[in-house]
Amino acid sequence: MALKRVLIANRGEIAVRVIRACRELGIETVAVYSDADARAQHALLADRAVRIGPAAPRESYLNQAAILDAAWSTGADAIHPGYGFLSERAGFARACEDRGIVFIGPPSSAIERMGSKIGARRLMQDAGVPVVPGETPPDQQDASLVAAATRIGFPVLIKPSAGGGGIGMKVVRERVAMLEAIAQARREAEAAFGDGTLYVERLVDRPRHVEVQVLADAHEQTVHLFERECSMQRRHQKVIEESPSPALSSSVRDQMGQAAVSAARAAGYRNAGTVEFLLEGEGDDARFYFLEMNTRLQVEHPVTEMVTGVDLVHAQLRVAAGEPLPWSEQALSQRGHAIECRIYAEDPLQNFLPQAGPLVMYREPQGPGIRVDSGVTEGAEITVHYDPMIAKLIVAGDTREAARRRAVDALRRYAVLGVRTNIPFLIALLEHPAFIQGKVDTGFLDREGDALRAALEPDLPPAAFAAAAAHQPTPAQPIASTVAASRREPAVADPFVSLGEWRSR
Amino acid sequence: MSALTIRLGDRVVAARIDGGGGVIIDDTTFTVTAARPGEYVVDDGRRRWHVAVADAGDARWVSVDGQVAVVEVESGTARAPRKKSAAADSMMAPMPATVLKLLVEPGQTVTEGATILVLEAMKMELPIRAPRDGVVRAVHCAQGELVQPGVALVDLE
Repeated sequence: MALKRVLIANRGEIAVRVIRACRELGIETVAVYSDADARAQHALLADRAVRIGPAAPRESYLNQAAILDAAWSTGADAIHPGYGFLSERAGFARACEDRGIVFIGPPSSAIERMGSKIGARRLMQDAGVPVVPGETPPDQQDASLVAAATRIGFPVLIKPSAGGGGIGMKVVRERVAMLEAIAQARREAEAAFGDGTLYVERLVDRPRHVEVQVLADAHEQTVHLFERECSMQRRHQKVIEESPSPALSSSVRDQMGQAAVSAARAAGYRNAGTVEFLLEGEGDDARFYFLEMNTRLQVEHPVTEMVTGVDLVHAQLRVAAGEPLPWSEQALSQRGHAIECRIYAEDPLQNFLPQAGPLVMYREPQGPGIRVDSGVTEGAEITVHYDPMIAKLIVAGDTREAARRRAVDALRRYAVLGVRTNIPFLIALLEHPAFIQGKVDTGFLDREGDALRAALEPDLPPAAFAAAAAHQPTPAQPIASTVAASRREPAVADPFVSLGEWRSR
Repeated sequence: MSALTIRLGDRVVAARIDGGGGVIIDDTTFTVTAARPGEYVVDDGRRRWHVAVADAGDARWVSVDGQVAVVEVESGTARAPRKKSAAADSMMAPMPATVLKLLVEPGQTVTEGATILVLEAMKMELPIRAPRDGVVRAVHCAQGELVQPGVALVDLE
């Protein structure tokens, strides 16, 4: 059954990316938007756009009834959830199934199975996939959580059972710090997921985060598309991702790929998903543990696309329509190296506080091997209502070092003004000796972040002040007659200045 | 020839514009050419910089080689650097946020680093801490209130 019209239940860069993929396959698109997004890229780009509520996510992008109504009223036969928001809500997938709308993702039963960290662990253990020691006290009392942590042995990690994206996760190094961490994790979990159930596990020492992309169709075929390394994280929020991982030997890569396929099969999985592993050590001696399965398309999926040459969203749409996978495992290979940098509207000098404001200038870098997935344009307003990630820069090169240099150069040319971003910080990370050598574990940024940030105070060359002095706010306007009246004389050799009144208004 | 003063924090730079596309800073003449609106090629005769400039309200944003700064441009020659305001005695929200918890009341003594209130924005908790020892003089916000950046939430004396 071919898909005719897909509703994209998301916003920002991922909604834009899915809309484009649909268009390429001849599928009509329906965007949904909140009051804060009426003029956002995704809402303007789709064939149709439906308002679903006020700015607050709970009333718009998390509003299942409004989104299902929008699908019904526009005659959409499928919903793509993107990532975040409703993408991993089994209840939403089931509501789609009940209404005969194709949910472009796994069956609700698979989301449910993998959504519970406890259940997923048990399932993985049974399927022979290695897991990290940990437990979820059934009564969820503070005392039981403390007792569990004591049994497992400190340091431990407290995680929301329902969660993802690092929200509510707390590292606890000693028993005395447990109660405060439990209270905070529970509050954040309840606020973000509406479920405060907590899980405690052993903290693996200096682990790397390596994950495997999988894809399964409805015809008993499951393949993996190799790994992505995402060890560069700030408080469990990924910042830079790459493929291949510099820490994997080919034999461990094969084992991990096989484990990921086993995990997906055990979950009864269909469509695109990611199996996350913690990697301890490197090379042939490395050991890996199942961390969790993300039952959605990931933010960092372009890294896989850049090294394998496939389009994962196309594949998602085909598999959702009941077609077999477009490729076999043997046909897939990794070629070259890809790096993704997440561009966040946050100020590295103010402890990464999320920023809001107008993007008075927004110019993306271009060139061979450079891809920018973004949901904003110059003049757009960044609001506080949603995730501060505004774009992703993905680069590919023959080698890791070629890709790294390409990323640095592209970031230096990426002009984002009006809102502070983490671009200076990303450059510092890519230039750090530990990253250059490929020796970064998931704790790297939390240990080194302060030192890196201290080096970020802008040290502008006098040339930058010269440009600031010469800048004329509206250089494209016919300004010859107004220049004399302005407080600044034109210092810029600008063709429009010399054309003057001759230009039509 | 006109004179401009550009400030970046405590740094004060005097620039003169010579009318022929040149900007003089510290005896160096920079030729500034607009490549695209807001994007400039700046040449000092030995090397070039590619600088992006855009205005947001009164603030002028400048970016070069991945560095970003917000400067103020005034006509005229440099005056003495401005005195720091007394803002350090007021705690403000760094961004629009909701007051999750308010932990002090007027008259209360606080020590440096004590959590004064907890804000919530973008799914994260942001503790606001006392910059120094002091006594709370006034509280200008309430629990649950949506607050804007740059507005004093709590004053110390």
